[in-house]
Amino acid sequence: MKAQSDEPLSLVLLGGSSGSFTIFEEILKILKNPVPYALVFIIHRRKDSTAVLPEIFRNKTNIAMKEPIHLELVQPNHIYFGYPDYHLLIGPDGRFYYDCSEKDFFSRPSIDATFISASLSGIPVKAAMLFSGSSADGAFGIKLIAQKGFPTYVQDPAYADSPRMPAEAIRQYDNHHVLLEKGFYKMIREVLY
Amino acid sequence: MVIIEYSELEMLIVRVREISGFDFSGYAKPSLLRSTSRYLTKHAMNLKELFVYIEQGGRAVYDLIQELTVNYSEMFRDPDYFKKVKTEVFNYLDSYPALRFWVAGCASGEEAFSMAILLKEAGLQDKSLIYATDLSNKVLTAAREGVFTLGNIRTFSENYLQAAGTGSLSDYYHVAYNRAVIAPELRKNIIFSLHDLTGDGVFNEFQFISCRNVMIYFSLELRQKVFRLLYDSLSLLGFLCLGKRETLRYSGIEQNFKIIDSELNIYQKIK
Ligand SMILES: C[S@@+](CC[C@H](N)C(=O)[O-])C[C@H]1O[C@@H](n2cnc3c(N)ncnc32)[C@H](O)[C@@H]1O
Repeated sequence: MKAQSDEPLSLVLLGGSSGSFTIFEEILKILKNPVPYALVFIIHRRKDSTAVLPEIFRNKTNIAMKEPIHLELVQPNHIYFGYPDYHLLIGPDGRFYYDCSEKDFFSRPSIDATFISASLSGIPVKAAMLFSGSSADGAFGIKLIAQKGFPTYVQDPAYADSPRMPAEAIRQYDNHHVLLEKGFYKMIREVLY
Repeated sequence: MVIIEYSELEMLIVRVREISGFDFSGYAKPSLLRSTSRYLTKHAMNLKELFVYIEQGGRAVYDLIQELTVNYSEMFRDPDYFKKVKTEVFNYLDSYPALRFWVAGCASGEEAFSMAILLKEAGLQDKSLIYATDLSNKVLTAAREGVFTLGNIRTFSENYLQAAGTGSLSDYYHVAYNRAVIAPELRKNIIFSLHDLTGDGVFNEFQFISCRNVMIYFSLELRQKVFRLLYDSLSLLGFLCLGKRETLRYSGIEQNFKIIDSELNIYQKIK
């Protein structure tokens, strides 16, 4: 594990809403300790959601999962989840920041808040992905990440449970890699390993 | 969405300081970057136009400062927290002849009104005074008026019920012209005043201080300074409450407190 800490931090960012939960589960199953990057999952949640995602997903992967605390350092080989009713920002100092300002697209946490902050943080993004969801959240953020020259992946809207989110991402920027239904998880595995 | 980089934000911070004296340099940069972006987007401006705009000084720069500090709030935000305060803290405070509460960073009064209701329902209202302070005159003016939209009130009512309120939130406001006005009866124990946590000092001693979702916008260093101020303002065995996603970690005063609830961030000063 020593070797890893010498590698500069990089981020894998995943966003989704309705219809993305099972996709997140499947991706977690692909992930095996250790990985050289930090993963951040943002899924829309109701503010009174009491579900603790690291608990729910506990059996899916052996990588450490958490809802970070405010100002916690982002670390490689960790999986982080957003917390209900707060945006989760990533700072240029490599720390997480919670923010309770207005919702984006009726969502807090929003995918845009996290993606935009990550794209401005100066921390390299190994991959950003956007999946099924019924709002336009995330489209702008993933576009910014792509424009910074980082690889971005969007689920094929034709096969998403809720096509609005990936469709809007492609509408705003048509150079994302599209994750087709055929070989969907195989492709994701290749991106991650 | 208008996007700016951190280097541009730094230039803005310097210019705002030169024009107004207000210093954002101790604020959490990621949140400030987000709110600056939102400000520019809302006013359909780019950064260059913003620089020109604030050169006028006065109102323009003052408005900017207020809009860049996040003042979103709700009554009974995090209902579990209020429930906990009632069950774990009030029984302890019961024995005091007089009580002083400080709601630091009170926004438009939502949290102070919630405390007032909680105290009233616990039978503690008559011996309690709530000092509610904020940096922004704009939100304090709103707080003194105590007027909310009916949409706001709907959310507040749901929170109130989840916080195990003993009546109905409508007991505490009346509706006029499609707005809800907080009952004067509730406001009589609340003193709203201007106070800058980063510049002003201790002004009283309190048995209870809540500073929720305020320091989340400060840098590590500024946070430590403000924690010191809160510590100095708290009587021995008094309570300190923080927002749900905050902690005493990295505060510099953690060793002086006992944890009452680590999830809801309720602490008691023990030395
Ligand atoms: C997000 S609101 C929190 C309101 C309420 N405590 C809650 O938890 O819902 C943050 C408030 O802190 C105030 N604030 C920001 N900087 C401050 C400072 N230096 N001194 C006092 N108040 C400040 C803002 O004006 C804003 O009203």
